Amino acid sequence: MAAGSGGKDQSHKAHRSSQAGASSKSHKAKAGRGKKRQREGQGAVASQESDKPKQPLTKMEKVDRKKRRRLGEDSALAEQKRQNPKAFAFTSSGKAKKMQSRAVEKEQRKLHIPSIDRTYGEPAPYVVVVQGPPKVGKSLLIKSLIKHYTKHNLPEVRGPISVVSGKKRRVQFVECPNDINGMIDAAKYADLALLLIDGSYGFEMETFEFLNILQVHGFPKVMGVLTHLDQFKDAKKLKKTKERLKHRFWTEIYDGAKLFYLSGLIHGKYPKREVHNLARFISTKKFHPLSWRTSHPYVLVDRFEDVTPLERVRENSKCDRNVTVYGYLRGCNLKREMKVHVAGVGDFSLSGVTALPDPCPLPSAAKKKGLRDKEKLFYGPMSGLGDLLYDKDAVYININDHFVQFSKANDEEGEVGKNQDVGEALVKSLQNTKYSLDEKLQESFISLFSRNKNLLPEHQGSNNKIEDHMIDMEAAKQGDLVEETEPDGPTKSDTEDSDGSASSDNNDAAPEKLAFTEHVELHGGRLRRKAMFENDYDDTEKDSLDGIEDDHDGDTKISDDDVSSSDSDSSEEDGEVEKHDHMGNMSRWKESLTERTGLRKSTNLMQLVYGNSASSMELRAQEKLDTIDNVDSDEEDFFKLKGEGDKKQKGQNDAYFDAEDCSKCMKYTGQNWKEVNIYERIRDRFVTGNWSNAARRNELSVGDAEDESSNDDDDAAVDGEFEDLETGEKYGSTETGPQELKEESELLKQKNIAELNELDEESRLAIEGFRTGTYMRLEIQNVPFEMVEHFDPYHPLLVGGIGFGEENVGYMQVRLKRHRWNKKILKTKDPIVLSIGWRRYQTTPVYAIEDRNGRHRMLKYTPEHMHCLAMFWGPLAPPNTGVVAVQNLSNNQASFRISATATVLESNHAAKIMKKIKLVGYPCKIFKKTALITDMFTSDLEIARFEGAAVRTVSGIRGQVKKAAKKEVGNHSNSKGVIPKEGIARCTFEDKILMSDIVFLRAWTQVDVPQFYNPLTTALQPRETIWHGMKTMAELRREHSLPLPTNKDSMYKPIERFPRKFNKLVISKQLQKDLPFESKPKDIPNRRKPLLERRRAVIMEGAERQVHALVQQLQFIKNEKVKKQKLTKERKRKLHEVEEAKAEEVSKKRRREERRDRYRVEDKLKKKLRGRN
Amino acid sequence: MGKVNYKKMKGSQNLRQRLLLSTLSGTPILVEDIRADDKFPGLRPHEVSLLRLFDRVTDDCVVEINDTGTKFKYKPGVVMGGRRVAHDCGVSRAIGYFLEPLIVLGLFGKKPLEIRLKGITNDSKDPCVDTFRSTTLPILKRFGVPSEGLDLKIESRGVPPLGGGEVVLSVPIVQALSAVTWIDEGMVKRIRGWTFSAKVSSQFEIQMIHAARGIFNNLLPDVHIFTDHKAGLQAGNSPGYGISLVAETNAGCCISADTTISYARGDDVGDMEDEKKELKPPQDVGEDMASALLEEIELGGVVDSSHQGLLFLLCALCPPDISKIRVGKLMPYGVETLRQIKDFLGVEFNIKMDTSTKTVILKCMGCGLKNLSRKSS
Repeated sequence: MAAGSGGKDQSHKAHRSSQAGASSKSHKAKAGRGKKRQREGQGAVASQESDKPKQPLTKMEKVDRKKRRRLGEDSALAEQKRQNPKAFAFTSSGKAKKMQSRAVEKEQRKLHIPSIDRTYGEPAPYVVVVQGPPKVGKSLLIKSLIKHYTKHNLPEVRGPISVVSGKKRRVQFVECPNDINGMIDAAKYADLALLLIDGSYGFEMETFEFLNILQVHGFPKVMGVLTHLDQFKDAKKLKKTKERLKHRFWTEIYDGAKLFYLSGLIHGKYPKREVHNLARFISTKKFHPLSWRTSHPYVLVDRFEDVTPLERVRENSKCDRNVTVYGYLRGCNLKREMKVHVAGVGDFSLSGVTALPDPCPLPSAAKKKGLRDKEKLFYGPMSGLGDLLYDKDAVYININDHFVQFSKANDEEGEVGKNQDVGEALVKSLQNTKYSLDEKLQESFISLFSRNKNLLPEHQGSNNKIEDHMIDMEAAKQGDLVEETEPDGPTKSDTEDSDGSASSDNNDAAPEKLAFTEHVELHGGRLRRKAMFENDYDDTEKDSLDGIEDDHDGDTKISDDDVSSSDSDSSEEDGEVEKHDHMGNMSRWKESLTERTGLRKSTNLMQLVYGNSASSMELRAQEKLDTIDNVDSDEEDFFKLKGEGDKKQKGQNDAYFDAEDCSKCMKYTGQNWKEVNIYERIRDRFVTGNWSNAARRNELSVGDAEDESSNDDDDAAVDGEFEDLETGEKYGSTETGPQELKEESELLKQKNIAELNELDEESRLAIEGFRTGTYMRLEIQNVPFEMVEHFDPYHPLLVGGIGFGEENVGYMQVRLKRHRWNKKILKTKDPIVLSIGWRRYQTTPVYAIEDRNGRHRMLKYTPEHMHCLAMFWGPLAPPNTGVVAVQNLSNNQASFRISATATVLESNHAAKIMKKIKLVGYPCKIFKKTALITDMFTSDLEIARFEGAAVRTVSGIRGQVKKAAKKEVGNHSNSKGVIPKEGIARCTFEDKILMSDIVFLRAWTQVDVPQFYNPLTTALQPRETIWHGMKTMAELRREHSLPLPTNKDSMYKPIERFPRKFNKLVISKQLQKDLPFESKPKDIPNRRKPLLERRRAVIMEGAERQVHALVQQLQFIKNEKVKKQKLTKERKRKLHEVEEAKAEEVSKKRRREERRDRYRVEDKLKKKLRGRN
Repeated sequence: MGKVNYKKMKGSQNLRQRLLLSTLSGTPILVEDIRADDKFPGLRPHEVSLLRLFDRVTDDCVVEINDTGTKFKYKPGVVMGGRRVAHDCGVSRAIGYFLEPLIVLGLFGKKPLEIRLKGITNDSKDPCVDTFRSTTLPILKRFGVPSEGLDLKIESRGVPPLGGGEVVLSVPIVQALSAVTWIDEGMVKRIRGWTFSAKVSSQFEIQMIHAARGIFNNLLPDVHIFTDHKAGLQAGNSPGYGISLVAETNAGCCISADTTISYARGDDVGDMEDEKKELKPPQDVGEDMASALLEEIELGGVVDSSHQGLLFLLCALCPPDISKIRVGKLMPYGVETLRQIKDFLGVEFNIKMDTSTKTVILKCMGCGLKNLSRKSS
């Protein structure tokens, strides 16, 4: 088995390398073919697919193909096996075991807890961020893609542009700004990042920086795109470069990461074929949810408007502004009360949240393939795209001037209706308001239309010549004439039917002006019924309006009113039902009616709970309702209740104001439960009762709860299943594997959707908030005027929701690692810019490391290749959130800008960071083993704090601090009259110390983390300027040209050690006398003359002399030789040096020129920037 | 650094929920007008004690109370939890008053909480500790709280007026709760109960049990009521006796009723009910509580009326999934809790009458609160 797996693994590898274009030499032939195809101008990766049919393959087909391919490989493998089976057997059992365990391990590593997807409905357009260094072709790529999708030429890429890319998919293209702030924000909203790389130049720092930021903030999908490949003239070189860049790209992401090649430009555009392929790759990407984003709602702003009253701006141009931002809601559901963080601006609470119709909707479901041209919508208001702009209360249609043709206002009047089209005539007649109404009505044969049209201007309704059925319509508005018109109803029904759908539509449109859209279900109902409904509706509407306007009317009253009115209405209508029972299509509207009344009841219960005033009166009312509701109440009760409410509300309110906080407040009625008829009431609630009865009770209630919906059974089934699962989960959650978890989460989702679908729109909104994927309009008040002033569509705005407790400020602990490409290590308490969650802020972290005993020891600098802890003050983020640290925000800096990456561990106030401290003192008086130490402490109080602490001398004698020295003892040596010095400690040692000893005490002291954080307000300044916050010490020193402060004692100096002079050993005569002879100092007298051996001369013999002379001569020769060698060496070295110097000169010159060129280009860029300002 | 934006509220009502929700959602609150027009204005001793308890369990929390006690600021900190925490609850309210917010708070702490609470264990006003153990803790388990580490140990009893009881509560921590669909109330399959007597004759308990059984016997044979007679040190400082009854259904719901009979507090003025109860003989107590339990059962719902608040709160703290629950009649406390939840967490419940059974079905989507203070490994 293991053999099989190993073999398969190998075959996979071979397959991959051939697919990607050959890295191993054994597949050179295949690879060559691949390359050829690339040169033909198609992406290397796409080349595999490109010879297959053009429309995207279905999943099944793909799987099939893969299977077939694998099968083929397998068969080949099997053949091989048959020829030499021994070659694929294991030679050792150990190896087999190892391979198997590795395979299992690999399998295990793939497993992960499935993330629960809680997005319901259509997803928002996926954000495709196009990122790259400047001048790499970002906007051109977006333009090409837009052209590909919509067949429109885009003049300029400003802000996000949404495009319908497929039947079920929309994408939003965003160009990533070039500064690091924009990159950080872009990484937070990107679903797919297209990293553009200049193939002719190679990778640039921006790409790697962006990749790092992406990785920390969740790592969305990434695809590389190589551009500028037409600059290579040499095909071989091109191939080599591609290969090199691809492998570098792979090491950064993962082996086999997609790198796309755009071969060059044709007429200033990327080739159509390649853009098409790229678009297909984009369309097949799958996006997995990222943990931060699934728990926080966010909006990528694609439209921005300043809605401050103009008067206010005129008075003070720097007043705080109100702005509205528009965009698709992503991440998770948004609730109205939520606070948001606007990246680069600050935290705000939303003052208005509205869902708008989708400006770029998906095509309605149809069976056809592909998109029709009409459905290829796009929307990018900042780029001036999209003809419709939606607002809360209006829709704006944008029509270019050259498309507009105004019809002539005055044609000859007589011609109307003669030679013109009907529609045209109608429009013309509508334009011309001079005509009297009745004239037109009589003359035109499309009077039905005109009737309805005429209704629209309401104030014109003073005509007295309106036909009978017009009264109907009036009744719909006023409701007073209902009784009058009732008998007309049945006779008119025929005409209504003949009207067709158009008329009914129009009828709907008319009341829309008055009220609201809730009449949808009444489409089939007859006109008269509608009138009833309008009346009903209007009443309630009016009531609620009254309630809002009149403060003296309590909320309870309103709700009661609603109840009573609705009830009375329904009873009225019931009566009617009986009257007109003979009519066929009655049942439908009746159904909806009962539904409505039921609904209103439930909303009433909600109103009682969530009404404005928190009075206990409501509760009382509610309790009564509970009891009364079912016992077919008469209206008297309600009215009485209302009166009570009016009278008593004030008093009750006050009484509850300071009510006791008590969960147990059930007032028992005190029935006698011994009586048979009383206890038999609840007999079925016990297992001793009738089980089927009880089951029925439960079933019934479930059905009721589900609003008598048609899919009752389904829901019940889902519910039942789920409950089983839940209990199962409770007792055996540890055993559930990933597959079960996945199923479970899917079930949970289904259940949620089912539950939510039961609710009507409003209560659904109240419960779950705005769904993801809706197009939102968010109003934010009191933003600084700079935000409007310096708004730049090239820098997309990100609005992110803030979770619970995330707006609070506190200490946070993160595990941080300096980035290995950052040149310097980071210093404690140096300001650094962090990006956590949606926020970016500057703070001053203190670095620390955990000692073995759990102590957090401060580090002055971050370790070079290790993680360390960092603690700082700032807005809190939940644990496991990624953090990016940047020290330098400037744009034209060659080095890598990301200083460190980190993850949040916890937010903890109590965690203390300690640092080592050494107190040094000197003995001022020494008794036997006790010494008085000065200069260690400054006061006696300090000594009291350190009593019992261990001290030590440099020589290693240990001791202990005892107490502050008594004044008389410690200071008696001082001259009289001087105030005795404080801070002299009495210490005892294990041995007598010397006056020359230095005594020190080692202790730990707490380091306090500075309470400083400064949000980056990059959106409040011109985007070109670089944000400056707190400066680091080094920057300040450089600015003021201050030298580094140095401690003189810390300098290294040459150590001078004088030879120690010892005095002569003197032994007393008495002692000498007692010593044994050998130990006695011997008395050796000084000699006047040297010894004989020193004085005598040596005379050599003849032979001896000869030998000596020879030796001397040989030595001389050797010395001469060495001298010569040395000279030649010296000469050669000098020659070499001269040559070196020359070469150096040349290279220096070259470098200087290179530098000069670079500076010139940079300077030009800078000038251009300045020019733009 | 930085200005703190306090959420302003008025009055002393719902102090527990306010403090709890403020801590969980990280919202600083400023409460004004606390019994400002009262004869004895300001915070009551048990409320101050509650503030102290919150201060003890959390870290970096700031409480400022003005001189008269009619106004205070509360800035929540990080919930720490930890072992061997002790708190004296005083004798103005029972321990049940403190336990209710504490168990929810403990779930979202940094470390598992183990706290020793001293004071009154049984009281007629608050749920007694027996009920807590038998009814409240199983509710928590429904929401995915691990059962190991969730415990309440009664070390000694204490009844008003002098208290002297002691309990040890341990609460585990969770990453997040799990949403429930809990609308099946089931049928009552057994009734359990606990009686206790401290510094009075154990005969009292027998009488209570006898009386209670007399009522239950008509409906169900499976009734067991345990006795717990305390004397000496474990009996606390005052005499008293009480009963706590729990009905368990075959769907796993627990419905409880309890009371305690003891002398009234000296300082509590005008609490007539307490005095009345004091006169009640054990037989009547047993009968009354049995009737109260049956009444609770008649109301329906998956929890009894006193646990509605806790149930709603737990539902609101779930991840953003739909929870569906059924309760009997909505109690004022439950309604107040619903309002506070909407105020702090922005979670609104969909409330619907179930007309056939006269119960109320509530639906909500949890706020998705995660344990922010938990340390990531």
